[in-house]
Amino acid sequence: MKKYWWKVLGVVILFYTIFVGMLTPLKTGITDASPVSLRTGRSEVLTVQGYNSFFTKEKEKLRAWLKMGSDKALAASRIEVVDDRVVRLTFDIPAYLPVEQKVKDFTLLIDSPVDGASVLPGGIVVTQDSINTALGEALWPNAEIAKLHEKAAFTFPFRNILSETIRNTYYHVPLWMAMFIILTAGMVMSVRYLWKSNPDDDRKAMALTNVGLLLGILGLITGAIWAKYTWGKFWSWDVKQNMTAIALLIYGAYFVLRGSFEDPEKKSKVSAVYNIFAFASLVPLLYIIPKLTDSLHPGAGGNIAFGSQDLDNTMKLVFRPAIIGWTLLGVWIAEIVLRSARLRDRLMEV
Amino acid sequence: MNRRVSLPPMNIFAQIFYLLRKEITLEWRQKFAISGILLYVLSTVFIVYISFQNIGPQVWNVLFWVIMLFASVNAVMKSFVQESGYRQLYYFQLLHPIAILLSKMIYNSLLLLLLGGLTFVALSFVAGNPVQEAGNFALALFLGSTGFSITFTFVSAIAAKADNSSTLMAILSFPVVIPILLLLVNLSAHSIGLLSGSDVGDKISLLAAVDLMLVAMGLVLFPFLWRD
Repeated sequence: MKKYWWKVLGVVILFYTIFVGMLTPLKTGITDASPVSLRTGRSEVLTVQGYNSFFTKEKEKLRAWLKMGSDKALAASRIEVVDDRVVRLTFDIPAYLPVEQKVKDFTLLIDSPVDGASVLPGGIVVTQDSINTALGEALWPNAEIAKLHEKAAFTFPFRNILSETIRNTYYHVPLWMAMFIILTAGMVMSVRYLWKSNPDDDRKAMALTNVGLLLGILGLITGAIWAKYTWGKFWSWDVKQNMTAIALLIYGAYFVLRGSFEDPEKKSKVSAVYNIFAFASLVPLLYIIPKLTDSLHPGAGGNIAFGSQDLDNTMKLVFRPAIIGWTLLGVWIAEIVLRSARLRDRLMEV
Repeated sequence: MNRRVSLPPMNIFAQIFYLLRKEITLEWRQKFAISGILLYVLSTVFIVYISFQNIGPQVWNVLFWVIMLFASVNAVMKSFVQESGYRQLYYFQLLHPIAILLSKMIYNSLLLLLLGGLTFVALSFVAGNPVQEAGNFALALFLGSTGFSITFTFVSAIAAKADNSSTLMAILSFPVVIPILLLLVNLSAHSIGLLSGSDVGDKISLLAAVDLMLVAMGLVLFPFLWRD
């Protein structure tokens, strides 16, 4: 049993990431507010859709603001809770805006003792007929936004557009990192084969690369499913997706190359050389070129990575173990592939 | 026929020079190979022209590099695949493997530069010349032919070891060469005026860095491939 501790560890971690990653609720958020466009000089009623919200609990302590920058905020004059998910906010909007524009976007902020603070960034647009900045400056209040509440429970961050798909951080990204770790290990085995000419090193490289390819395909699929819900299409001709497809082609070619040799020693040597060469071309493919071009992918082409959204570090508690978990599972599968390859080679010798 | 056989010198640079001269002499003697590849370029350009008829700058740019890509694979494929086993054995006894690889890479770069020039002239002849910054385009062509030559020469050395080498050549080299191809299309789009921006220098140095990295990988790995 002592020998298998890492397999047990890998499985335990993966169960942990699946349960905690899937069952932990998201923070309260605002999915929708209508009407989106308001006019100055009126008392407007906004119907707000909450997500994971409990507006009916302690509803008298609910507060809401329309916020512009850091120095202008208009508190809601009346708050009517319809049910847990819907609340109606009345804002008495002054006659002029404090900006030299006809149209200005505002951020909606709701605070509740139960759910904590939630925002709809830039989601509300206010239009004015004529511009009078001085009057606008005077009319717009700067209501104090203080003593915002924190949701007490263990939650993941809520972000518009992403909403529940933020959980993909625990599957797509770690699968991808595990793939890179395992492919690196495969490359190291190929180097060791060239160095020592031990046929078992080549089998190890083959097994690890096999699993790396599998993890890469899974990473591509999980990414494409995520893209369907956030970008709108499975395949958006994004540079990250294209480069990934090419990387998988390179490793596909590795197995075609392996298949085209009769002589086992020649096969091992040539495929070890190609594996190292392919790995070297993988780095510009996955990590340099996507950074140069525009990309929709988080963490590339000027988009922020999800890590920066994880303000209270709850995501890291699942994300980091997930990398270890997928890597360990990958090594386990590689070990099985390796053992079957050893048996096959021994059969060939008999 | 009492010609004295002169043994190649032992210095690696002299060996490279010697091999390069041998490649050029051989090519000159059997002109069918090089005229074949030049004809390949011309007919591809013509086929492309009669299929498209109106070729705008953007299409011109892509077509140029796609024609270059396929012509390069065909031109470089023979470098190791068509060497006979006996000659390989002969080289193995006499020469340093790095000299063999480098001489082939340099020779293929020159060949591809010639091919690129021909493709450019032919494509400009039938479809007009959209290039605005000639210096930039020439630099892209130079870095491109070097990058193609490095990748394809090395992959050809790998494919030559296998049994069905011509299929393998395309399967192995196309995915590896795509980063270079993308950078090239991007760079020449700058020189045609399709893209504007100040990061041309960055892309040139990145392309040079990728080329250098591939040469380094080739030089490190080739001696292992060579030893049979």
